[in-house]
Parts: sequence; structure tokens; C-alpha cells
Amino acid sequence: MGKGKPFLEVLSSAIHEDFRFPFLELFAFLYALGTFVLANFTVGIYSQTTTNEAVAYTVTTSLIGGSLFVFIILVLKNVAYGLGSDLEKGIIQTYFSYPLRRRGILTAKLLSALGVSLLLFLGIQISALYILAPDIVLPQFGTVILTYAANLSYPLLISAIMLLMTLILRRGGIALVVGIVLYFAMSIISGIAFVVALATESPLALQIVSVIAPSYALQYHYGGLSGIFSVTWAPTLSETLLYIGASYVIVASLFVLGYIYFSRRLNL
Amino acid sequence: MSLIVAEDLSKSYGRVVAVDSLRLSLGEGSVTGLIGPNGAGKTTTIKMILGLLKPDKGWVKVFGQNPWDNTAIRSMIGVVYEKAFFPSHQKTLEYLQRVCRIFGVPESRAMEVLESVNLEDASDRQIKALSAGMLQKFAIAHALVHKPKLIVADEMTANLDPQARSELLDLVLQLHRDEKVAFLLSSHILPELSRVCDSVAIINRGRVWAFGKLSELYEKYAVGIIRVSTDSPEEVAAEIRKLKYVEDLRTDIRGVSVRVAEGREDQLYEDVPKLAKKVKAKILGIETGSASLEELYRLAVGAKEGGKIVGQR
Repeated sequence: MGKGKPFLEVLSSAIHEDFRFPFLELFAFLYALGTFVLANFTVGIYSQTTTNEAVAYTVTTSLIGGSLFVFIILVLKNVAYGLGSDLEKGIIQTYFSYPLRRRGILTAKLLSALGVSLLLFLGIQISALYILAPDIVLPQFGTVILTYAANLSYPLLISAIMLLMTLILRRGGIALVVGIVLYFAMSIISGIAFVVALATESPLALQIVSVIAPSYALQYHYGGLSGIFSVTWAPTLSETLLYIGASYVIVASLFVLGYIYFSRRLNL
Repeated sequence: MSLIVAEDLSKSYGRVVAVDSLRLSLGEGSVTGLIGPNGAGKTTTIKMILGLLKPDKGWVKVFGQNPWDNTAIRSMIGVVYEKAFFPSHQKTLEYLQRVCRIFGVPESRAMEVLESVNLEDASDRQIKALSAGMLQKFAIAHALVHKPKLIVADEMTANLDPQARSELLDLVLQLHRDEKVAFLLSSHILPELSRVCDSVAIINRGRVWAFGKLSELYEKYAVGIIRVSTDSPEEVAAEIRKLKYVEDLRTDIRGVSVRVAEGREDQLYEDVPKLAKKVKAKILGIETGSASLEELYRLAVGAKEGGKIVGQR
């Protein structure tokens, strides 16, 4: 018997639970609402920008805000609450009685919790961009992808931390609270970093924040607030890519740790 | 061939030793009970057998292989936990059909196993809508889908009413007889295990204290047990306890179980009526060799501890 079938069946079962009625319908609606309602504000913003890349970046960023919040709520629900309750209740034990390796079970759970949420998010976002601003988006598709990569890095970092906490503590509730705190903490941390950068006239604090949240590096690359507040940090595209790469290395490392713990150490 | 072999198996939770140098060997086609009180180490042992827990020391082999993350073994074992948990928003038949696809068996098997546990009428119900008894039956059906050679069940009747418990045990006997499935059943409810098990492992403080066929264990530990049924167990017990040839004694609401020194059974038969008369108690019956599994457990543990436990309740 091949390994594909048990994996696909466990994935299908996990999706069935994570996105049962009315969650899929509700979150698809919220994604659409967040994307299209915020799209109304884009015209005023991108009229101030200069280059085509900067315009594409601004349009994409203005669409992301609301949907990213919906994405993080969905991930919090599926990873912390969903996987956490599966561990607490014993559904993972039931999955462990099937002929599928532990890593396969975790992959199926993560694909359901994160993969489907990400597909929903990107599907609606890209559709919205294509509908609302095809003349801007299509020629600058690389910038659009880069903007999504930079903005998704921090939510994925939170997801990886929540995954580790859920596995180690086996209490989804605690991971959920930490996830929410981390999400809101970044706004405060970035604000503090900005103030520190202004006070010291050094971009070091912003650079440190950008390692875990590279959307800030991208923001400063495209002008951001540096002109207004005289913070002289304008990372080049290569530097920005480095920040994005570094953040994904951290995210990937945490997920690998989660896999190692789940496969080799998790005692149920 | 041995289905399960454990050697020097140990597991601790912090300072608490749950399983301590446990040895076990289970043969094909048997219904073996893992008996012991709460906290004896039964669940931890079963979890190590199922590859859910890693032993701190020693090893366990199931079908000759290490069970940790071993997909080959999972195809040969069915598992029933004390509390069954499944993705609760799916329908019973649909979920079992999914399990059939996971194990690569025809989907028609799903209805077969539902029928075998008399749940065919609940085939269209969501799993979360099943009662506790039905859920345990569903768990057994789930464990049977891939026609396992061995079913490991941990306290599967603990949360059930007597009726549901009796039906489940009948099902175990039926599956053992008709489908030649071997069982490893853990329970602290001993009378029910004596109904279905042909051998038992008596586990206490994380160790196997006695293991073997029930008949052999009775012969070894329960020889000389005499059951005295009376309307005044406490008073009769107090008198019997004074007899020098009594090695062990236990009272319950209906009478006294007494173990006497070898060859002194007849003496007790003579003494009991006199003692009863002395305390004005009525003797309702005296019979030899009727130790329950519960008594056997206590005797085996008492013998290992190397002392008499006369007078304990």
C-alpha cells in the first residue's frame, strides 16, 4: 500500500474538521470583506508614490492589512485551538493508529491549518489585485510577490512559535494567548524601534526588528516614513531580500524543530 | 510467535516511577488481561507498546519490531482507548469508509464492522452524537476495520454502564472466537476480565508481579481458598482470624474469604460452624476454590511482598 492514500485521507479529515460549516464560508467572507473594503483607500495612497514598483507595493500593502488580520485569526484557530485540542482530546492518538509516519500526520495537520488558510488568503488577494488594478499589478508581479512574502513572514513566525508551544505544552489555550500577544506586540515593538531609531539617529533598532518582520525593511526600501522623520535608513533591494530570507530561515528552523519534536520526542 | 515482548521496560514521570523493569511476553491468539489498581502502570505500559511513549530504559517489541513511529505494526494492531476520540463532526459510516481507504481495504468493510458491533442503525449519525457506550462500540469497530491480529484496549469499559460493559465483553469473546483476534485488555475492574481472559499479567507499582494462564495462577496462588458466606461477616471474620492455621483473610458484605495452610481445609470446615454459633451468626454456605480474580490479584501481590496480609480488607 502506498503512503499517499493514508496521507491524503488524514489531510482530508483534518480539512473537514478545520473548515467545517460555517468556518470556511465565514472566513472566505471575511477575507473578501477585508480585501475589498480596504481597497477603497488605495487611490489616495498610491497617488503620492513615484516609481512603478512603489505604486505596486503601496497598492498591495493597502489590500493586505484587513485580510492579514483574518489570516492570523484563522491560523490561531487552526494551529493553537485545532491542533491543541486534537492533542488534548486524543485525536492525534487515533491518527497514530494509522499506517502513516508521525511527520506525515503533522504535515497533513499543518497543510490543513496553514496551507488552506494561506491559499484562501492569497487567492482572494491576488484576485482582488487583478480586478482592481491589473495595469499596476501585472507588470510588477515580482514586487507583489515580494510584498506578500515580507508581510506573511511574521504571521508564519507566530504560527511556528504557536506550533512549538502547542506541542510542548499540549495546551492550545496558552499557545493561543501567546499568539495573540505576539501579534499585537509587534506593533508596539516596531513603534519603540522607530522611536529608538529617531532618538539615536541609527537604524539599528529597525534593522533588528526587520529580521523577524521584514515588512518593515520593505517599507523603508520603498520610502516608508524615513523622509518624514529624518530616519536615514533606505535598505537596497538586495538588503531587503536578505531580511526576508533571514526571517524565513528563522521560520523554517522553528518548523523543523516542531517536526523533530513531533517525530522523535512527543510522548502522548 | 510472541506478539509482544517487553524486557526491563521502565518509564518515569519526573520522580514518579510509572513502570519499573517490566517484563512481559504475549503469545498469539490469547486474551490477556493487564490487571492492577489505578496508577499501577497499565496505561503507561500500553502506551509504550503502542509506540506513543518512549521507554526510559529497556525495550518493547511488537510483532518483533520497535513500535515507535512504525507504520508496519499499525497495520496489524487495533487500538481502543479508555475514552475514544475521533473527528467528531464526521458521520460514523463515512469516517469508517475513510479508515478503510487509509488501510487499503474495501469500503464495504465499514458497514461490516458497524454491523458486528450492532451500530448499523447509527451509520448516518455524526460521531459526536453517539452515547458513551455507542462510542466505545464505534471505537471497537474502528479497531477492526483492517482485520488486525491483535487489539490493544486500555480500560475500554471504564466509563460504561453495566449493560454496555457486558455487551462489549461479549463482543470481545465473539471476536476472539470468530475472527481469532488476540486481545490485550487492561482494566482495574477485575471481575469483568475473569469473564474473558485466558491469561493475566498482574501489575503493581509498575512491575509484573505474576503472569500466566488464569488456571495456573489460581493453582499457584489461590489453593486453599475457602469462601464462607454468612449474614455477619465481621463477627465471623474476627473469630476465624484467631485460628492459627489461617494464612489470609478478607471480608466483604456477603462473607469471608479465607486461605488456610496446606491440608487444613477440612479443619476450617469443622471450626466455622462452631465459631458462627459462638457469635450467633448464620452460615449460608462454605465452598472451596472459589477465589475471584480480585482475590487472586491480592494473593499474588501479597505473596510477592513476602508477608501475610491476614486481616486486610
